[in-house]
Amino acid sequence: MAVIYRIDMSEQTVRAEQPGQSYRELGGRGLTSTMLANEVAPLCHPLSSENKLVISPGLLTGTGAPCSGRLSVGAKSPLTGTIKESNAGGMAALALAALEIKAIVLEGKPEDDTLYRLVVTGDGVKIEPAGDLAGLGNYDTVARQFEEFGDKVTCISIGPAGEMCTSAASVAVTDVEGRPTRHGGRGGLGAVMGSKRIKVIVIDPTGGRRPKSADPDAFKKAARKFAEALKKHPLTSETLPTYGTNALANVINEAGAYPTRNFSQGQFEGTEAISGERQHDIIVERDGMIAHACHRGCTIKCSRIYVDENGQYVTKGPEYETIWAHGADCGIDDFDAIARMDRLDDDLGLDTIETGATIGVAMEAGIIPFGDAEGAIGLLEEVRKGTPLGRLVASGAEVLGKTYGVSRIPTVKGQSMPAYDPRAAQGIGVTYATSTMGADHTAGYAITANVLGVGGNVDPLQPENQVELSRNLQIATAAIDASGLCLFVAFAVLDDQNAMDAICEMFAALLGRPFTADDFVGLGKEVLKKERQFNAAAGFTSASDRLPNFFKTEQLAPHNATFSVPDEALDEVFDFVE
Amino acid sequence: MSHVRVSLYATLRRYIGGAASIEVDIEPGLTVQDVIEQLGVPPGQTRIIFVDNRAADLSKRLEGGEKLGIFPAIGGG
Repeated sequence: MAVIYRIDMSEQTVRAEQPGQSYRELGGRGLTSTMLANEVAPLCHPLSSENKLVISPGLLTGTGAPCSGRLSVGAKSPLTGTIKESNAGGMAALALAALEIKAIVLEGKPEDDTLYRLVVTGDGVKIEPAGDLAGLGNYDTVARQFEEFGDKVTCISIGPAGEMCTSAASVAVTDVEGRPTRHGGRGGLGAVMGSKRIKVIVIDPTGGRRPKSADPDAFKKAARKFAEALKKHPLTSETLPTYGTNALANVINEAGAYPTRNFSQGQFEGTEAISGERQHDIIVERDGMIAHACHRGCTIKCSRIYVDENGQYVTKGPEYETIWAHGADCGIDDFDAIARMDRLDDDLGLDTIETGATIGVAMEAGIIPFGDAEGAIGLLEEVRKGTPLGRLVASGAEVLGKTYGVSRIPTVKGQSMPAYDPRAAQGIGVTYATSTMGADHTAGYAITANVLGVGGNVDPLQPENQVELSRNLQIATAAIDASGLCLFVAFAVLDDQNAMDAICEMFAALLGRPFTADDFVGLGKEVLKKERQFNAAAGFTSASDRLPNFFKTEQLAPHNATFSVPDEALDEVFDFVE
Repeated sequence: MSHVRVSLYATLRRYIGGAASIEVDIEPGLTVQDVIEQLGVPPGQTRIIFVDNRAADLSKRLEGGEKLGIFPAIGGG
């Protein structure tokens, strides 16, 4: 029987709850956003006892569906002030699902600064003091848990950034090898976990089993159909496992949409040196690993293991967004330096997108010059030391930019833009402006049709058709985020009806009732409605659904492009919400 | 005689011995497809095409002096 655990950190109590009707058929972002909309005051301070951190596997997680091990973490974001869902791979979602835990909800806040850990087993959840972990990086933190509990556990943790409650702090999840490399990065949810003084959640899935489907045979058939569709699409079967997410670097650079030196140009002269092709060659030469799965059951295997010139482990991937943020956006083309920074971000517990963009703004501010890799690493070391400058680096681009008088800050609702310039990819610009999450790329990944020729073609340099593209993708993504499926299945879904059909058939077999594409769309719309309503009550208006003005006026080379989707059109994205 | 610079990416680099780009002599009026076939790249393996950083397809005619960027199916995030 599925259970929701409520951990009250004010009273230090644990309550096990049977999910009521409204939560029973929800998972992932569907559950986190619904719970937050129902239970959290939209005007609360995100670091106060009134906020809640909801940790939830997806509806399909643990069923054996391919690529379904994603974890959703939700709260009111300290970075944006909006409702927030942050999504991570790794092994935690599978572990929670094996124990039939629908959600762990962190509530309240201790009166003092004592650090705690939670130990989650088939018998329940224990709150234990964990002062010995204070100040440790994520790597040392989880190493101690594996030493104590063995390899079978999986960990959700925060680093020093989360302990300091800085707004770019991430929530780390351990991967198949037990390393804290998969992060719920966006929006500073690590700070919410830190405000509730929880350093690590250790999950032991021993004794757990698969969630039961209403129709197990139909489920198996649908899951097989889904696996076949993923195998058929060249992206999910060949390019992603071979080159990983950073295959994008050269494409986005060719398109003139690769934000360079704090969004001042659309192409970077050092792209080849930090490309997916170069990354592949380095990893193969040095005997790292390509085609690596971040969680068991993933068939796409976009992850990889990066090693130094001596073959010693450095970090995973790194991923496209991370490489862009610490690379082109900072004018840095030294791959090993970028990999070191990825390792530092993971250990400190920082969102790599936000942190790279913040360093880019720090460079614009003149704190260090563009291209200074050692200087950038030095800024991350300031975070570990907990100096005022370090706290600024860990607080996101908007805060750091403000304190240094920078006027070109690439954020929406306080969150930094990821690795696509909205002037040369106007569809993603619409998503940045209007998403309930702030400037976010996965929330409605219009790059598919803007650049990649997936799910159609929409000219990235024109304002037409971008609103419809972004809206449809935002709706579909909200539904995928509720399912526990990795968003990369969307590449197959957008091109192959069989993939979409298979997802609906899995849902139907799991729930024991019909589930069609319309239901899938309906699920996505419901989630977005709740998020929009929360944000409106938190004080957000259409004025918040805009890009910073310089994107409309400053021309971006090589296309001399500006963002030209009219404001009235942006206000139509959510026309399905009354 | 004009030429174009052709950059091939990801799995397509194997057709030019692993190099990142190559200069190709062309008669003006040849299409993108003509050029890549000359290099031994199967058109069916190409998915994303840029000519001077703008999206194009295999049928686009070239004049000479253009920069081509040719990709297989690519995605990421």
